[in-house]
Amino acid sequence: MHDSESDTFHPVNKNEEFCESLKKIGLDAKANQIDTDEAEKENYYSRYYSHTPVMVTNHGTITLKGTNIDVVQIIQKG
Amino acid sequence: MAQDLNPVSWGAQDRYQAHFIVKILTGCDNEDYLARPKLQTKGHFASKQVTGIKWSGGKLADVLNTDDALKTMMTKLSPEDAQIYIEPTSGGVRIFGKWKDSHDFTMTKELFSVYDRIALGIKNMSCPPPIKC
Repeated sequence: MHDSESDTFHPVNKNEEFCESLKKIGLDAKANQIDTDEAEKENYYSRYYSHTPVMVTNHGTITLKGTNIDVVQIIQKG
Repeated sequence: MAQDLNPVSWGAQDRYQAHFIVKILTGCDNEDYLARPKLQTKGHFASKQVTGIKWSGGKLADVLNTDDALKTMMTKLSPEDAQIYIEPTSGGVRIFGKWKDSHDFTMTKELFSVYDRIALGIKNMSCPPPIKC
């Protein structure tokens, strides 16, 4: 009897993974390549509040169509 | 195998955040787009429910406080999801929630509807043009 888990796995970017969850709720979402949106090149927080983290990792963006939101950026703490 | 008694405290953590960005160019000051909710809740632990929301911050908070439909939508969210932060940055206004681990890092229809409604409020917010000397 073999283990049900596959020996190989397909690495998926975090923005692609989140894009799939947006598609599941019926949104027209498209994951973009990392560092292609202007939003990734600016500060991720306003710094009006003191507790926002300094060290974050950018995981790319997702473009949404047909909503009031233009783009979704995925970030990781640390 | 012995457990590491001094685990490293640096490096990327299993905590993720999705920033929903509204790209706008208006005459409003950056501070006008700051908003955070103060939640009124009832119950404790698993039965904790949101019963009311009062936004505080800039002019956007006043706009959101007048939106009764948004308040109704937010009372259907869990207290964790209802903690929504709105902050202005140079490229647009960012709407985001609390940090979530990779297991919980998904989106629900109800939560997205709230984010979309807030984004509508941001886009509809009208500010007087800046006075030029």
